Amino acid sequence: MRRYEATREIMNAIGDELVVCNIGHPSQEIFKLRDRPENFYMFGSMGLSSSIGLGVAMAQDRMVVALDGDGSVAMNMGTLATIGLVRPKNYMLVIIDNQSYGSTGFQRSFTADNLRLEEVARGSGVESVVAVHRETEIAPTVTRLLKEDGPHVLVVKCEPGMPDGIGVIPIDGMEVRNRFMAAAKPG
Amino acid sequence: MSTLPAVTSNNPAEQLYERVRSHGIDFFVSVPCSLLGEVIEILEGDTEVTYTPVTREEEGIGVLAGAYLAGRRPAIVMQNSGYGNIVNAVCSLVNYYSIPIVMLVSHRGSAGERIEAQVPMGDAVQGVMEASGVKCVPIAHPSDLDGVDEGIEWALAEEKSIAFLFPFSFWQDAETYVPEHR
Repeated sequence: MRRYEATREIMNAIGDELVVCNIGHPSQEIFKLRDRPENFYMFGSMGLSSSIGLGVAMAQDRMVVALDGDGSVAMNMGTLATIGLVRPKNYMLVIIDNQSYGSTGFQRSFTADNLRLEEVARGSGVESVVAVHRETEIAPTVTRLLKEDGPHVLVVKCEPGMPDGIGVIPIDGMEVRNRFMAAAKPG
Repeated sequence: MSTLPAVTSNNPAEQLYERVRSHGIDFFVSVPCSLLGEVIEILEGDTEVTYTPVTREEEGIGVLAGAYLAGRRPAIVMQNSGYGNIVNAVCSLVNYYSIPIVMLVSHRGSAGERIEAQVPMGDAVQGVMEASGVKCVPIAHPSDLDGVDEGIEWALAEEKSIAFLFPFSFWQDAETYVPEHR
């Protein structure tokens, strides 16, 4: 299982939740798999997907899923401390852990060696931390966690690599922003 | 647009906070600075706003961007050294998606600074803000706080971020107030 297959399972299990998508290929894969106004595609600011998602969750009541990567979370590891402090019930951070920096050429990342993000999340005060290794576990786990109070940190262990021909996202940042803001509006 | 009572305090931190709140700013993050201690204490006690400390300013910019996307009016409270930690997020997130963030920035390295190492970033910060597309408004004294009103109105109308710089003189000059946090 690569990130693409894992993301497909996650997006299939998601209902009307607001989703913040990580920079680069992850956003492109999500756009191809299931584009919707409730998706915010982060085109810059590597590392901040989990933080943007946290802000959306703190600002309103709907459930928020932030999709992030192991390299990105390692770049902004303080985010786990803040999630563990604020503990928003309507927040789930999904870390796709492919032990590599996929968008820049699959260079080896820190989780390929000693870093265990599940343990950092637990040590930061997040109680609901789940790691899955098999593709068939993903959708049932996401469905279950979305019904329970968060915050949740779900780590999905994958292989490096991605399919050919995913393609770029054909809409620009302001369109992504405006339709997300309209979708996130209460009522 | 303000519905709050008129400002009566001689305390610079209270005066600043009331001005900012009067524009509907309702979502804050902070990273500590000795000059901002009292503003942060006021924030912690305000049950009308959403607030969290953050570990690093860049993370805070991400949280605030999310808050704006969900319909809130966000602000960060930080030292000027923190601006050095957020330049990429300002350019590729805040400016790119046109997200207005109010930045309340203590200006270490300004006249009155005792720590020499604060001076280089203190000297650089205004240029770094302008080079990264954030309007910078120095507020040298509480009597200049009208600049905060004008700046926040501009930022919200234009959907652009704005930084207010508060040097030592802002916190020290109030006749009846001597800050304890230093």
